Amino acid sequence: MSSSRQQIALVDVNCFYASAERAFDPSLEGKPLVVLSNNDGCAVTRSPEAKALGISTGDPWFKLAPRAKEWGLIARSSNYELYGDISSRVMELLGRYSAWLEVYSIDEAFLGIKGSPEKVVGLGRTIKAAVQRNVGVPVCVGIAATKTLAKLANRWAKNNPALGGVCRWESMEPEVRELLMARLPVSEVWGVAGRLEKRLNALGICTILELSRADPVMVRDRFSVVLMRTVLELRGTPCIPLEEERMGRDQLIFSRSFSTPLASAPEFRQVLSVYAQQASARLARHHLQAKVLTAFAGTSHYNPKDKSFPSVCVPLPMPTSDPVLLTRAAHALLPAIQDGVKYARAGIMVTDLRPSGNQQPLEPFANPHEERGIGPLVEQVSRKCGRGTIGLGFAGLRTGLDWSMKREMRSPRYTTHWDELPVVRAA
Amino acid sequence: MGVIIGPRVIEAGLSLRLVLISPVAVAAGFPSPAQDYFDGRIDLNEHLIKDITSTYIVRVSGDSMEQAGISDGDELIVNRALEPRDGSVVVAVLDGELTVKRLKVTAAGVVLQAANPLYPDINVPALADLTIWGVATRCLHHV
Repeated sequence: MSSSRQQIALVDVNCFYASAERAFDPSLEGKPLVVLSNNDGCAVTRSPEAKALGISTGDPWFKLAPRAKEWGLIARSSNYELYGDISSRVMELLGRYSAWLEVYSIDEAFLGIKGSPEKVVGLGRTIKAAVQRNVGVPVCVGIAATKTLAKLANRWAKNNPALGGVCRWESMEPEVRELLMARLPVSEVWGVAGRLEKRLNALGICTILELSRADPVMVRDRFSVVLMRTVLELRGTPCIPLEEERMGRDQLIFSRSFSTPLASAPEFRQVLSVYAQQASARLARHHLQAKVLTAFAGTSHYNPKDKSFPSVCVPLPMPTSDPVLLTRAAHALLPAIQDGVKYARAGIMVTDLRPSGNQQPLEPFANPHEERGIGPLVEQVSRKCGRGTIGLGFAGLRTGLDWSMKREMRSPRYTTHWDELPVVRAA
Repeated sequence: MGVIIGPRVIEAGLSLRLVLISPVAVAAGFPSPAQDYFDGRIDLNEHLIKDITSTYIVRVSGDSMEQAGISDGDELIVNRALEPRDGSVVVAVLDGELTVKRLKVTAAGVVLQAANPLYPDINVPALADLTIWGVATRCLHHV
Protein backbone atom coordinates (compact mmCIF):
# COMPACT_ATOMS: atom_id res chain seq x y z
CA MET A 1 0.00 0.00 0.00
CA SER A 2 2.51 2.53 1.14
CA SER A 3 4.48 2.15 -2.07
CA SER A 4 1.72 3.66 -4.18
CA ARG A 5 1.14 6.54 -1.79
CA GLN A 6 1.83 10.04 -2.97
CA GLN A 7 5.41 11.16 -2.40
CA ILE A 8 6.76 14.66 -2.63
CA ALA A 9 9.97 15.57 -4.40
CA LEU A 10 11.65 18.89 -3.74
CA VAL A 11 13.88 19.83 -6.64
CA ASP A 12 16.24 22.69 -5.94
CA VAL A 13 18.96 24.19 -8.13
CA ASN A 14 22.36 24.15 -6.41
CA CYS A 15 23.66 27.69 -5.82
CA PHE A 16 21.16 28.85 -8.40
CA TYR A 17 22.48 32.27 -9.41
CA ALA A 18 26.10 31.11 -9.49
CA SER A 19 25.16 28.01 -11.49
CA ALA A 20 23.21 30.10 -14.00
CA GLU A 21 26.28 32.30 -14.49
CA ARG A 22 28.51 29.28 -14.98
CA ALA A 23 26.19 27.69 -17.52
CA PHE A 24 27.21 30.33 -20.04
CA ASP A 25 30.70 31.12 -18.85
CA PRO A 26 32.70 27.93 -18.28
CA SER A 27 35.72 29.97 -17.20
CA LEU A 28 33.90 30.48 -13.88
CA GLU A 29 33.95 26.73 -13.24
CA GLY A 30 35.94 25.81 -10.16
CA LYS A 31 36.51 29.42 -9.16
CA PRO A 32 35.16 31.22 -6.13
CA LEU A 33 32.18 33.21 -7.36
CA VAL A 34 29.64 35.38 -5.60
CA VAL A 35 26.51 36.94 -7.03
CA LEU A 36 25.64 40.28 -5.48
CA SER A 37 22.29 41.65 -4.37
CA ASN A 38 20.58 44.76 -5.73
CA ASN A 39 22.96 47.66 -6.28
CA ASP A 40 25.88 45.30 -5.78
CA GLY A 41 25.30 45.46 -2.03
CA CYS A 42 26.20 42.08 -0.64
CA ALA A 43 26.78 38.46 -1.58
CA VAL A 44 23.51 36.57 -2.05
CA THR A 45 24.79 33.41 -3.73
CA ARG A 46 28.18 31.76 -3.28
CA SER A 47 29.78 29.01 -5.27
CA PRO A 48 31.15 26.14 -3.15
CA GLU A 49 34.64 27.59 -3.68
CA ALA A 50 33.48 30.95 -2.31
CA LYS A 51 31.91 29.18 0.68
CA ALA A 52 35.25 27.46 1.26
CA LEU A 53 36.88 30.89 1.51
CA GLY A 54 34.64 31.56 4.46
CA ILE A 55 32.41 34.05 2.67
CA SER A 56 28.91 34.18 4.12
CA THR A 57 25.61 35.11 2.57
CA GLY A 58 25.07 38.78 3.27
CA ASP A 59 28.73 39.75 3.39
CA PRO A 60 28.88 43.29 2.00
CA TRP A 61 30.77 43.60 -1.25
CA PHE A 62 32.75 46.65 -0.14
CA LYS A 63 34.33 44.46 2.52
CA LEU A 64 35.10 41.59 0.14
CA ALA A 65 36.29 43.71 -2.79
CA PRO A 66 39.70 44.73 -1.36
CA ARG A 67 40.71 41.07 -0.95
CA ALA A 68 38.98 39.71 -4.06
CA LYS A 69 42.11 39.78 -6.16
CA GLU A 70 44.24 37.96 -3.63
CA TRP A 71 41.51 35.28 -3.24
CA GLY A 72 40.79 35.06 -6.96
CA LEU A 73 37.20 35.86 -6.04
CA ILE A 74 34.90 36.82 -8.90
CA ALA A 75 31.73 38.82 -8.37
CA ARG A 76 28.73 39.22 -10.62
CA SER A 77 25.81 41.61 -10.29
CA SER A 78 22.39 39.99 -10.23
CA ASN A 79 21.25 39.19 -13.75
CA TYR A 80 17.53 38.74 -13.13
CA GLU A 81 16.69 38.42 -16.81
CA LEU A 82 18.98 35.41 -17.07
CA TYR A 83 17.87 33.82 -13.80
CA GLY A 84 14.20 34.29 -14.66
CA ASP A 85 14.64 32.54 -17.99
CA ILE A 86 16.69 29.68 -16.57
CA SER A 87 14.12 29.26 -13.82
CA SER A 88 11.23 29.05 -16.27
CA ARG A 89 13.12 26.44 -18.31
CA VAL A 90 13.71 24.34 -15.19
CA MET A 91 10.06 24.60 -14.12
CA GLU A 92 8.83 23.81 -17.59
CA LEU A 93 11.03 20.72 -17.66
CA LEU A 94 9.92 19.62 -14.17
CA GLY A 95 6.29 19.90 -15.26
CA ARG A 96 6.94 17.07 -17.70
CA TYR A 97 7.50 14.68 -14.81
CA SER A 98 4.40 15.45 -12.78
CA ALA A 99 1.04 17.14 -13.22
CA TRP A 100 1.34 18.27 -9.62
CA LEU A 101 3.96 20.98 -9.62
CA GLU A 102 4.25 23.79 -7.13
CA VAL A 103 6.78 26.41 -8.08
CA TYR A 104 8.01 27.29 -4.62
CA SER A 105 10.63 29.86 -5.47
CA ILE A 106 12.80 30.92 -8.38
CA ASP A 107 14.96 27.83 -7.89
CA GLU A 108 12.80 25.27 -6.09
CA ALA A 109 9.67 23.32 -6.86
CA PHE A 110 7.65 20.59 -5.19
CA LEU A 111 6.46 17.72 -7.37
CA GLY A 112 3.93 15.08 -6.49
CA ILE A 113 5.19 11.64 -7.54
CA LYS A 114 4.00 8.07 -7.06
CA GLY A 115 5.48 4.60 -7.16
CA SER A 116 7.78 2.19 -5.40
CA PRO A 117 10.85 3.51 -3.55
CA GLU A 118 13.09 2.32 -6.41
CA LYS A 119 10.86 3.98 -8.97
CA VAL A 120 10.69 7.37 -7.27
CA VAL A 121 14.43 7.43 -6.62
CA GLY A 122 14.97 6.49 -10.27
CA LEU A 123 12.68 9.33 -11.28
CA GLY A 124 14.69 11.67 -9.07
CA ARG A 125 17.88 10.66 -10.90
CA THR A 126 16.18 11.09 -14.28
CA ILE A 127 15.04 14.58 -13.30
CA LYS A 128 18.49 15.53 -12.03
CA ALA A 129 20.14 14.36 -15.24
CA ALA A 130 17.54 16.02 -17.47
CA VAL A 131 17.85 19.44 -15.84
CA GLN A 132 21.64 19.28 -16.04
CA ARG A 133 21.55 18.13 -19.66
CA ASN A 134 18.74 20.34 -20.99
CA VAL A 135 19.06 23.56 -19.08
CA GLY A 136 22.65 23.29 -17.89
CA VAL A 137 22.30 23.77 -14.13
CA PRO A 138 22.80 21.19 -11.35
CA VAL A 139 19.93 20.25 -9.05
CA CYS A 140 19.43 18.08 -6.00
CA VAL A 141 16.27 16.12 -5.32
CA GLY A 142 14.81 15.32 -1.92
CA ILE A 143 11.94 12.85 -1.76
CA ALA A 144 9.70 12.15 1.23
CA ALA A 145 6.14 11.68 2.39
CA THR A 146 5.78 15.33 3.38
CA LYS A 147 7.03 18.69 2.14
CA THR A 148 8.92 19.37 5.37
CA LEU A 149 10.76 16.05 5.15
CA ALA A 150 11.38 16.51 1.41
CA LYS A 151 13.15 19.76 2.33
CA LEU A 152 15.30 17.90 4.85
CA ALA A 153 16.04 15.11 2.37
CA ASN A 154 17.05 17.69 -0.23
CA ARG A 155 19.42 19.28 2.23
CA TRP A 156 20.93 15.91 3.03
CA ALA A 157 21.31 15.16 -0.69
CA LYS A 158 23.22 18.43 -1.10
CA ASN A 159 25.60 17.81 1.79
CA ASN A 160 26.28 14.15 1.21
CA PRO A 161 28.09 13.59 -2.09
CA ALA A 162 27.72 9.81 -1.75
CA LEU A 163 24.01 10.14 -2.50
CA GLY A 164 24.66 11.55 -5.96
CA GLY A 165 22.24 14.43 -5.45
CA VAL A 166 19.10 12.37 -4.83
CA CYS A 167 17.84 11.36 -1.39
CA ARG A 168 14.63 9.63 -0.39
CA TRP A 169 14.05 10.25 3.29
CA GLU A 170 12.25 7.00 4.07
CA SER A 171 14.95 4.96 2.30
CA MET A 172 17.46 5.89 4.97
CA GLU A 173 17.81 3.77 8.09
CA PRO A 174 15.68 5.14 10.95
CA GLU A 175 18.84 5.53 13.08
CA VAL A 176 20.48 7.64 10.37
CA ARG A 177 17.42 9.84 10.09
CA GLU A 178 17.29 10.36 13.85
CA LEU A 179 20.97 11.12 14.00
CA LEU A 180 20.57 13.69 11.25
CA MET A 181 17.60 15.33 12.95
CA ALA A 182 19.42 15.33 16.26
CA ARG A 183 22.39 17.13 14.74
CA LEU A 184 20.39 19.92 13.11
CA PRO A 185 19.18 22.90 15.14
CA VAL A 186 15.46 23.50 15.04
CA SER A 187 16.00 26.68 13.01
CA GLU A 188 17.04 24.48 10.08
CA VAL A 189 13.58 23.08 9.68
CA TRP A 190 11.38 24.54 6.98
CA GLY A 191 9.11 27.24 8.41
CA VAL A 192 10.89 27.91 11.71
CA ALA A 193 12.27 31.43 11.74
CA GLY A 194 14.58 33.18 14.20
CA ARG A 195 12.19 34.40 16.89
CA LEU A 196 10.39 31.09 17.00
CA GLU A 197 13.70 29.35 17.56
CA LYS A 198 14.35 31.25 20.81
CA ARG A 199 10.90 30.42 22.14
CA LEU A 200 11.34 26.75 21.27
CA ASN A 201 14.78 26.66 22.85
CA ALA A 202 13.29 28.08 26.03
CA LEU A 203 11.09 24.97 26.17
CA GLY A 204 14.10 22.72 25.68
CA ILE A 205 13.38 22.09 22.01
CA CYS A 206 16.71 22.74 20.32
CA THR A 207 17.05 20.14 17.57
CA ILE A 208 14.77 19.01 14.80
CA LEU A 209 14.51 15.63 16.49
CA GLU A 210 13.23 17.27 19.67
CA LEU A 211 10.68 19.24 17.67
CA SER A 212 9.48 16.08 15.94
CA ARG A 213 8.93 14.51 19.37
CA ALA A 214 7.11 17.48 20.86
CA ASP A 215 3.43 17.10 21.72
CA PRO A 216 1.49 18.49 18.74
CA VAL A 217 -1.38 19.76 20.92
CA MET A 218 1.03 21.61 23.17
CA VAL A 219 2.74 23.10 20.12
CA ARG A 220 -0.61 24.22 18.72
CA ASP A 221 -1.67 25.81 22.00
CA ARG A 222 1.62 27.53 22.75
CA PHE A 223 2.57 28.45 19.21
CA SER A 224 0.28 27.97 16.25
CA VAL A 225 -1.51 25.51 14.04
CA VAL A 226 1.19 26.17 11.47
CA LEU A 227 3.94 24.89 13.77
CA MET A 228 1.82 21.93 14.78
CA ARG A 229 1.64 21.00 11.13
CA THR A 230 5.41 21.16 10.94
CA VAL A 231 5.63 18.71 13.86
CA LEU A 232 3.20 16.32 12.17
CA GLU A 233 5.04 16.63 8.88
CA LEU A 234 8.31 15.76 10.57
CA ARG A 235 6.59 12.58 11.75
CA GLY A 236 5.57 11.75 8.19
CA THR A 237 1.97 12.95 8.14
CA PRO A 238 1.42 15.24 5.17
CA CYS A 239 -0.48 18.38 6.17
CA ILE A 240 1.00 21.29 4.23
CA PRO A 241 -1.03 21.49 1.03
CA LEU A 242 -0.24 22.85 -2.38
CA GLU A 243 0.17 26.60 -2.26
CA GLU A 244 -0.72 29.08 -4.92
CA GLU A 245 1.04 32.07 -3.52
CA ARG A 246 4.54 32.33 -2.14
CA MET A 247 6.60 35.05 -0.63
CA GLY A 248 10.29 34.47 -1.03
CA ARG A 249 13.22 36.62 -0.03
CA ASP A 250 13.51 38.40 -3.33
CA GLN A 251 10.52 37.27 -5.29
CA LEU A 252 6.80 36.79 -5.14
CA ILE A 253 5.01 34.20 -7.22
CA PHE A 254 1.35 33.79 -8.07
CA SER A 255 0.70 30.67 -10.01
CA ARG A 256 -1.99 28.07 -10.24
CA SER A 257 -3.49 25.39 -12.38
CA PHE A 258 -7.03 26.03 -13.58
CA SER A 259 -9.94 23.70 -12.87
CA THR A 260 -11.09 24.23 -16.43
CA PRO A 261 -8.48 25.22 -18.99
CA LEU A 262 -8.43 28.80 -20.23
CA ALA A 263 -8.57 29.19 -23.96
CA SER A 264 -9.08 32.85 -24.79
CA ALA A 265 -7.20 36.11 -24.52
CA PRO A 266 -10.02 37.93 -22.68
CA GLU A 267 -9.99 35.26 -19.97
CA PHE A 268 -6.23 35.56 -19.69
CA ARG A 269 -6.46 39.32 -19.51
CA GLN A 270 -8.67 38.85 -16.46
CA VAL A 271 -6.52 36.22 -14.75
CA LEU A 272 -3.32 38.19 -15.29
CA SER A 273 -5.00 41.34 -13.97
CA VAL A 274 -6.09 39.51 -10.84
CA TYR A 275 -2.58 38.14 -10.25
CA ALA A 276 -0.98 41.52 -10.89
CA GLN A 277 -3.31 43.20 -8.44
CA GLN A 278 -2.70 40.53 -5.82
CA ALA A 279 1.00 41.01 -6.33
CA SER A 280 0.58 44.76 -5.99
CA ALA A 281 -1.34 44.42 -2.74
CA ARG A 282 1.17 41.92 -1.40
CA LEU A 283 4.12 44.13 -2.30
CA ALA A 284 2.47 47.16 -0.73
CA ARG A 285 1.78 45.22 2.46
CA HIS A 286 5.44 44.30 2.73
CA HIS A 287 6.61 47.78 1.69
CA LEU A 288 8.35 46.36 -1.32
CA GLN A 289 8.68 47.31 -4.94
CA ALA A 290 9.53 45.06 -7.84
CA LYS A 291 11.79 45.78 -10.74
CA VAL A 292 11.02 42.82 -12.99
CA LEU A 293 7.79 40.97 -13.75
CA THR A 294 7.62 37.58 -15.42
CA ALA A 295 4.31 36.27 -16.72
CA PHE A 296 3.87 32.73 -17.95
CA ALA A 297 1.31 30.18 -19.02
CA GLY A 298 1.40 26.57 -20.04
CA THR A 299 -0.67 23.80 -21.50
CA SER A 300 -1.04 20.51 -19.71
CA HIS A 301 1.80 18.08 -20.19
CA TYR A 302 -0.80 15.39 -20.67
CA ASN A 303 -2.05 17.14 -23.77
CA PRO A 304 0.81 16.64 -26.23
CA LYS A 305 -1.29 17.86 -29.15
CA ASP A 306 -1.41 21.50 -28.16
CA LYS A 307 1.95 22.46 -26.75
CA SER A 308 2.43 26.05 -25.73
CA PHE A 309 4.50 27.56 -22.92
CA PRO A 310 4.62 31.29 -23.49
CA SER A 311 6.53 33.44 -21.05
CA VAL A 312 7.62 37.07 -20.97
CA CYS A 313 10.10 38.81 -18.74
CA VAL A 314 9.31 42.51 -18.44
CA PRO A 315 11.75 44.94 -16.84
CA LEU A 316 9.53 47.53 -15.15
CA PRO A 317 10.13 51.18 -15.92
CA MET A 318 10.86 51.80 -12.23
CA PRO A 319 10.69 49.76 -9.03
CA THR A 320 6.99 49.69 -8.37
CA SER A 321 4.10 48.13 -6.56
CA ASP A 322 1.61 50.11 -8.62
CA PRO A 323 -1.26 47.92 -9.82
CA VAL A 324 -1.59 49.76 -13.13
CA LEU A 325 2.06 49.29 -14.04
CA LEU A 326 2.11 45.67 -12.89
CA THR A 327 -1.10 44.83 -14.73
CA ARG A 328 0.19 46.45 -17.88
CA ALA A 329 3.41 44.47 -17.60
CA ALA A 330 1.53 41.21 -17.01
CA HIS A 331 -0.54 41.86 -20.11
CA ALA A 332 2.63 41.69 -22.18
CA LEU A 333 2.00 37.95 -22.15
CA LEU A 334 -1.26 38.32 -24.10
CA PRO A 335 0.19 38.52 -27.62
CA ALA A 336 1.96 35.22 -26.94
CA ILE A 337 -1.25 33.43 -25.94
CA GLN A 338 -2.42 31.26 -28.81
CA ASP A 339 -6.10 31.53 -29.50
CA GLY A 340 -7.97 28.28 -29.04
CA VAL A 341 -5.15 26.51 -27.23
CA LYS A 342 -6.25 25.20 -23.82
CA TYR A 343 -3.93 26.45 -21.11
CA ALA A 344 -3.82 24.51 -17.86
CA ARG A 345 -1.91 27.05 -15.80
CA ALA A 346 -0.68 30.58 -15.62
CA GLY A 347 1.16 32.78 -13.24
CA ILE A 348 3.18 35.87 -12.61
CA MET A 349 6.38 36.30 -10.69
CA VAL A 350 7.79 39.61 -9.51
CA THR A 351 11.49 39.62 -8.80
CA ASP A 352 14.26 41.99 -7.93
CA LEU A 353 12.37 43.33 -4.92
CA ARG A 354 13.58 46.22 -2.83
CA PRO A 355 12.13 48.31 0.02
CA SER A 356 9.78 50.98 -1.25
CA GLY A 357 11.02 53.73 1.08
CA ASN A 358 13.46 55.62 -1.09
CA GLN A 359 11.31 56.07 -4.15
CA GLN A 360 7.99 56.70 -2.47
CA PRO A 361 7.60 60.40 -3.33
CA LEU A 362 7.99 59.63 -7.02
CA GLU A 363 5.19 57.14 -7.21
CA PRO A 364 2.14 59.45 -6.84
CA PHE A 365 3.09 61.69 -9.68
CA ALA A 366 4.67 59.16 -11.99
CA ASN A 367 1.38 57.76 -13.16
CA PRO A 368 -0.75 60.82 -13.83
CA HIS A 369 2.17 62.21 -15.77
CA GLU A 370 2.27 59.08 -17.79
CA GLU A 371 -1.37 59.56 -18.71
CA ARG A 372 -0.67 63.10 -19.87
CA GLY A 373 2.10 61.96 -22.13
CA ILE A 374 4.96 63.28 -20.04
CA GLY A 375 6.77 59.98 -20.45
CA PRO A 376 6.98 60.12 -24.24
CA LEU A 377 7.97 63.80 -24.03
CA VAL A 378 10.84 63.02 -21.68
CA GLU A 379 11.84 60.17 -23.95
CA GLN A 380 11.81 62.52 -26.94
CA VAL A 381 13.98 65.08 -25.20
CA SER A 382 16.39 62.40 -23.99
CA ARG A 383 16.72 60.99 -27.44
CA LYS A 384 17.44 64.42 -28.87
CA CYS A 385 19.73 65.72 -26.16
CA GLY A 386 21.09 62.56 -24.58
CA ARG A 387 20.29 60.44 -21.56
CA GLY A 388 20.29 62.21 -18.25
CA THR A 389 19.58 65.65 -19.70
CA ILE A 390 16.04 65.52 -18.40
CA GLY A 391 14.44 63.53 -15.62
CA LEU A 392 11.47 63.44 -13.32
CA GLY A 393 11.89 65.05 -9.92
CA PHE A 394 15.07 65.40 -7.95
CA ALA A 395 16.09 61.84 -8.60
CA GLY A 396 16.37 62.44 -12.28
CA LEU A 397 18.81 65.33 -12.13
CA ARG A 398 20.83 65.28 -8.95
CA THR A 399 22.02 61.74 -8.64
CA GLY A 400 21.05 60.09 -11.86
CA LEU A 401 17.90 58.07 -12.11
CA ASP A 402 17.25 56.64 -8.69
CA TRP A 403 15.87 53.42 -10.10
CA SER A 404 18.63 52.75 -12.50
CA MET A 405 20.16 50.00 -10.46
CA LYS A 406 23.84 49.55 -10.07
CA ARG A 407 24.75 46.34 -11.83
CA GLU A 408 28.28 47.08 -12.86
CA MET A 409 29.41 43.49 -12.87
CA ARG A 410 26.40 42.04 -14.64
CA SER A 411 27.00 39.30 -17.17
CA PRO A 412 25.25 39.49 -20.54
CA ARG A 413 21.53 38.74 -20.57
CA TYR A 414 22.36 35.68 -22.67
CA THR A 415 18.90 34.32 -23.27
CA THR A 416 16.62 37.32 -23.42
CA HIS A 417 18.53 39.97 -25.37
CA TRP A 418 19.55 39.48 -28.97
CA ASP A 419 22.54 41.79 -28.59
CA GLU A 420 23.87 39.86 -25.62
CA LEU A 421 23.88 36.26 -26.86
CA PRO A 422 26.63 33.97 -25.58
CA VAL A 423 29.63 34.04 -27.90
CA VAL A 424 31.17 30.79 -29.14
CA ARG A 425 34.68 30.86 -30.51
CA ALA A 426 35.38 29.63 -34.00
CA ALA A 427 39.14 29.87 -33.82
CA MET B 1 -11.03 51.63 -37.14
CA GLY B 2 -8.84 49.46 -39.21
CA VAL B 3 -6.03 47.63 -37.54
CA ILE B 4 -2.75 47.68 -39.34
CA ILE B 5 -0.49 44.82 -38.46
CA GLY B 6 2.84 44.80 -40.20
CA PRO B 7 5.67 42.31 -40.07
CA ARG B 8 7.14 42.49 -36.63
CA VAL B 9 9.48 40.89 -34.21
CA ILE B 10 8.34 39.98 -30.76
CA GLU B 11 10.99 39.48 -28.17
CA ALA B 12 9.72 37.44 -25.29
CA GLY B 13 11.46 36.44 -22.13
CA LEU B 14 11.70 32.71 -22.38
CA SER B 15 12.97 32.32 -25.87
CA LEU B 16 13.57 34.75 -28.63
CA ARG B 17 10.33 34.67 -30.50
CA LEU B 18 10.54 35.46 -34.15
CA VAL B 19 7.26 35.94 -35.89
CA LEU B 20 7.24 36.24 -39.61
CA ILE B 21 4.54 37.43 -41.90
CA SER B 22 1.33 38.95 -40.54
CA PRO B 23 -2.09 39.21 -42.13
CA VAL B 24 -2.80 42.18 -44.34
CA ALA B 25 -4.33 45.43 -43.11
CA VAL B 26 -8.08 45.18 -42.77
CA ALA B 27 -10.22 48.09 -43.92
CA ALA B 28 -13.04 49.27 -41.65
CA GLY B 29 -16.40 47.69 -42.34
CA PHE B 30 -15.17 45.44 -45.09
CA PRO B 31 -14.22 41.92 -44.08
CA SER B 32 -11.15 40.54 -45.76
CA PRO B 33 -11.94 37.68 -48.12
CA ALA B 34 -8.75 36.02 -46.89
CA GLN B 35 -9.83 36.05 -43.26
CA ASP B 36 -11.35 32.57 -43.27
CA TYR B 37 -8.15 31.13 -44.68
CA PHE B 38 -5.83 32.60 -42.09
CA ASP B 39 -4.68 29.72 -39.96
CA GLY B 40 -1.88 31.27 -37.91
CA ARG B 41 1.46 32.61 -39.00
CA ILE B 42 4.54 30.56 -39.62
CA ASP B 43 6.19 30.43 -36.27
CA LEU B 44 9.95 30.01 -36.41
CA ASN B 45 9.95 28.74 -32.84
CA GLU B 46 7.84 25.81 -33.82
CA HIS B 47 10.13 24.82 -36.66
CA LEU B 48 13.55 25.68 -35.32
CA ILE B 49 13.17 25.06 -31.60
CA LYS B 50 12.18 21.50 -30.85
CA ASP B 51 12.52 21.80 -27.10
CA ILE B 52 12.33 25.18 -25.43
CA THR B 53 13.94 23.97 -22.23
CA SER B 54 17.17 22.93 -23.92
CA THR B 55 17.55 25.29 -26.87
CA TYR B 56 19.83 28.31 -26.71
CA ILE B 57 20.99 30.74 -29.34
CA VAL B 58 24.69 31.65 -29.47
CA ARG B 59 26.74 33.97 -31.64
CA VAL B 60 29.82 32.84 -33.56
CA SER B 61 33.08 34.73 -33.34
CA GLY B 62 35.79 33.74 -35.82
CA ASP B 63 36.14 32.04 -39.18
CA SER B 64 37.28 28.52 -38.30
CA MET B 65 33.94 26.98 -39.34
CA GLU B 66 33.71 28.90 -42.60
CA GLN B 67 33.56 25.79 -44.82
CA ALA B 68 30.71 24.35 -42.76
CA GLY B 69 28.70 27.40 -43.72
CA ILE B 70 29.17 29.07 -40.37
CA SER B 71 30.63 32.57 -40.59
CA ASP B 72 31.82 35.15 -38.13
CA GLY B 73 28.78 36.87 -36.59
CA ASP B 74 26.27 34.15 -37.47
CA GLU B 75 23.88 32.84 -34.85
CA LEU B 76 23.63 29.15 -34.08
CA ILE B 77 20.64 27.36 -32.63
CA VAL B 78 22.03 24.92 -30.12
CA ASN B 79 20.10 22.07 -28.55
CA ARG B 80 21.68 20.78 -25.35
CA ALA B 81 19.43 17.74 -25.15
CA LEU B 82 20.74 16.11 -28.35
CA GLU B 83 23.26 13.31 -28.19
CA PRO B 84 26.46 14.42 -29.93
CA ARG B 85 27.38 12.04 -32.77
CA ASP B 86 30.15 11.59 -35.27
CA GLY B 87 29.89 14.56 -37.61
CA SER B 88 27.80 16.77 -35.31
CA VAL B 89 28.69 20.43 -35.13
CA VAL B 90 29.05 20.93 -31.41
CA VAL B 91 29.68 23.67 -28.93
CA ALA B 92 32.39 22.30 -26.66
CA VAL B 93 34.06 23.66 -23.56
CA LEU B 94 37.74 24.22 -24.36
CA ASP B 95 40.04 26.08 -21.96
CA GLY B 96 37.11 27.65 -20.20
CA GLU B 97 35.57 28.91 -23.41
CA LEU B 98 32.64 27.86 -25.54
CA THR B 99 34.04 26.78 -28.90
CA VAL B 100 32.28 25.53 -32.02
CA LYS B 101 33.85 22.53 -33.80
CA ARG B 102 32.89 19.45 -35.78
CA LEU B 103 32.98 16.27 -33.72
CA LYS B 104 34.72 13.23 -35.24
CA VAL B 105 34.43 10.00 -33.30
CA THR B 106 36.98 7.39 -34.38
CA ALA B 107 38.36 4.15 -32.97
CA ALA B 108 41.47 6.05 -31.90
CA GLY B 109 39.54 8.66 -29.97
CA VAL B 110 37.74 11.90 -30.51
CA VAL B 111 38.79 14.72 -32.77
CA LEU B 112 37.48 18.26 -32.80
CA GLN B 113 37.84 19.58 -36.32
CA ALA B 114 37.65 23.08 -37.63
CA ALA B 115 36.06 23.57 -41.04
CA ASN B 116 38.92 25.66 -42.28
CA PRO B 117 42.35 24.24 -43.26
CA LEU B 118 44.07 27.06 -41.40
CA TYR B 119 43.06 25.59 -38.05
CA PRO B 120 44.55 22.32 -36.69
CA ASP B 121 42.53 19.39 -35.36
CA ILE B 122 42.31 18.92 -31.64
CA ASN B 123 42.69 15.33 -30.44
CA VAL B 124 40.85 14.24 -27.33
CA PRO B 125 41.55 10.77 -25.90
CA ALA B 126 37.89 9.97 -25.19
CA LEU B 127 34.50 11.58 -25.42
CA ALA B 128 34.30 11.41 -21.63
CA ASP B 129 37.24 13.82 -21.35
CA LEU B 130 35.34 16.42 -23.25
CA THR B 131 32.48 18.63 -22.15
CA ILE B 132 30.00 19.05 -24.97
CA TRP B 133 27.85 22.06 -24.18
CA GLY B 134 25.34 21.41 -26.93
CA VAL B 135 24.74 20.34 -30.49
CA ALA B 136 24.17 22.98 -33.17
CA THR B 137 21.08 22.31 -35.26
CA ARG B 138 20.86 25.42 -37.43
CA CYS B 139 22.97 28.33 -38.47
CA LEU B 140 21.34 31.69 -38.97
CA HIS B 141 23.69 32.94 -41.63
CA HIS B 142 23.73 36.61 -42.57
CA VAL B 143 23.30 36.94 -46.31
